[in-house]
Amino acid sequence: MTAGWSDAAHAARLTWRSLGMAVTAILAQKLRGVFVSSAVALGIAALTVIVASVDGAREKAMEIVAWFGPNAVMVLGGDIENRPVGQRVLTLTWDDARAISRSLPGVMAVVPMRSKASVVLRYEAKNVVVPVVVGATEDYAGTWDWPLDEGRDLTLEDIERSAKVCLIGDAPAKALFGDASPLGKTILVQDLPVQVVGRLAYRGFTSGGGETSVDDRIIMPITTLTQRFNMDRKYFRGLRVKFHDPSLMDAHLANLRSLLRHQHGIAPGQPDDFSLLSAADILKFLSAVTGGMTVFLGVTAGVAILVGGFVLANLMYLSVSERREEIGLRKALGAPGWAVTVQFLCEACVLTVAGAVLGIGIGIGLGEILSGLGLLKLVLTPKIPILSLAAALCIALVFGIRPARKAASLDPIEALRGGGEG
Amino acid sequence: MKTPAAPAASPEIPVVRLEDISKSYLLGDVRSHVLRDVTLSIAGGEFTAIQGPSGSGKSTLLHILGLLDRPTSGDYFLCGENVASLDDDALSARRNATIGFVFQSFYLIPYASALDNVLLPGMYADTPKHLLRERGLALLEQVGLADRAGHKPSQLSGGQQQRVALARALINNPDLILADEPTGQLDSKTGEEIMALLADINTRAGKTVVVVTHDDATAAYARRRILVHDGRVV
Repeated sequence: MTAGWSDAAHAARLTWRSLGMAVTAILAQKLRGVFVSSAVALGIAALTVIVASVDGAREKAMEIVAWFGPNAVMVLGGDIENRPVGQRVLTLTWDDARAISRSLPGVMAVVPMRSKASVVLRYEAKNVVVPVVVGATEDYAGTWDWPLDEGRDLTLEDIERSAKVCLIGDAPAKALFGDASPLGKTILVQDLPVQVVGRLAYRGFTSGGGETSVDDRIIMPITTLTQRFNMDRKYFRGLRVKFHDPSLMDAHLANLRSLLRHQHGIAPGQPDDFSLLSAADILKFLSAVTGGMTVFLGVTAGVAILVGGFVLANLMYLSVSERREEIGLRKALGAPGWAVTVQFLCEACVLTVAGAVLGIGIGIGLGEILSGLGLLKLVLTPKIPILSLAAALCIALVFGIRPARKAASLDPIEALRGGGEG
Repeated sequence: MKTPAAPAASPEIPVVRLEDISKSYLLGDVRSHVLRDVTLSIAGGEFTAIQGPSGSGKSTLLHILGLLDRPTSGDYFLCGENVASLDDDALSARRNATIGFVFQSFYLIPYASALDNVLLPGMYADTPKHLLRERGLALLEQVGLADRAGHKPSQLSGGQQQRVALARALINNPDLILADEPTGQLDSKTGEEIMALLADINTRAGKTVVVVTHDDATAAYARRRILVHDGRVV
């Protein structure tokens, strides 16, 4: 069919011209255009905030997983999920740690953890309270994938000699030393003089959704901590177990559980007296928190977009009945019905796309305020303009098609008769 | 959507040929006949007035001539082509290419400039935009409105608006100009100017002009008069 190509060219040219005529028509009704565009803009702004916060939440989750280690499991004393009455919390021993590192397949490292809460640090005239002093074994920074800004990691020698050294987190370092380097300085940890040998890099997030930043801590050899602060020498609060292959985590977890049950002599049917926590569990908890926020924002955006669509549809119906004469004239002068539909759809698209541009601006501004208040972490990606434009065009097509078709179906004789008395 | 080129007018083939055209409406149980067996022929280059009192059916005849309405029965040959069987899009294409309309109430788009109004039928044709613009400006000059191209209809007098409408009717170089009471909303002096322009278009450009009117003074410009009474040509 030879007419096919020229028909397509004709249709394309007419569509392009309809877009031009649509812009002229919109400029004739600026105020109405502003109403439609702002209604759509609100929906798009909500969408922008959602997409940015979902990406932000994912990025934050990834950071936390990276911090925790995708191949790591935290073993805690006591059953933290069910908390049976009267159960002991201090159940993990050096024996357990040795058994895990010796007989569990796939283990890379076992790091016992012991910590002391709310400890006063002093340097010269300055006092600061850190929420946690962590007792650790050698290679703390290495096992936690936590880079050092300066200095060195804890060594095996530090542990064996119960050396009075520490790694300092970003928060206490800033509080005590400001911009100066803490390296080699001696601080008082609850009256015990301790030398700073390394400074941990800034991590900047709170662990487990609490108020406390992970940067607000110092790390000392676990031996020093237990001896100098008269802590229980037999039990640990927790153990960190790192495996070689993260893809086998499920099997590793099952092995670890049965090994510990055996170590603790727990009969079948009895509850665990310990808890295993993997990166997946932490993610589950985090997504439960951010999921609620996302659902709320999603509903808001959905409602706002719906409202924008209805505003568009209503003002277009109004426009079609006001412009009966123009529509009738266009058809009488030779506009095919589809060209009238296309023109009104073009008008709708121009308005919603203008709304989308405005909405992205509002959304980014709103996002800045929300992240400024610390309510949400937002990440802006190219996905935002793409999604917003797609949503805007969808609004135009879904809500604009009925009024546009109504316009196209007007009978030119009727439409022209309605205008004049002729 | 088929839009084969409309056949051009030639001296042998009349621009308009109606054969036994009837139009009736069913109002409840009663069939009301608006046009009965109208047969007429208008040759290329004629200046014809269709006259008749209100309710005579002349408006319906104009709508059928202008392809805005379909007859109940009968055949209509426009430039030799039987248009009775064409679908809506094909009729749109014929209106666009073959017929120039002038209305009693001018019907200009209020938010568009005089030039854009003149270009409107051209927007639905395949003429390149720059040729269209040139032609539109030339036509505005022809109707004496060269300096008003950028004015909105509200800034123009009634006579000037009807001149814009005349230029618009000519933009696609149609074979047939259909004017529906073109002087109906103008004072007699302005009306005369418009009719003089139509007569000029008829004689100089050789366009076939059909004017529907109830006014004798307007009809006097035509060289041929067709009287419609009770749905019949008399």
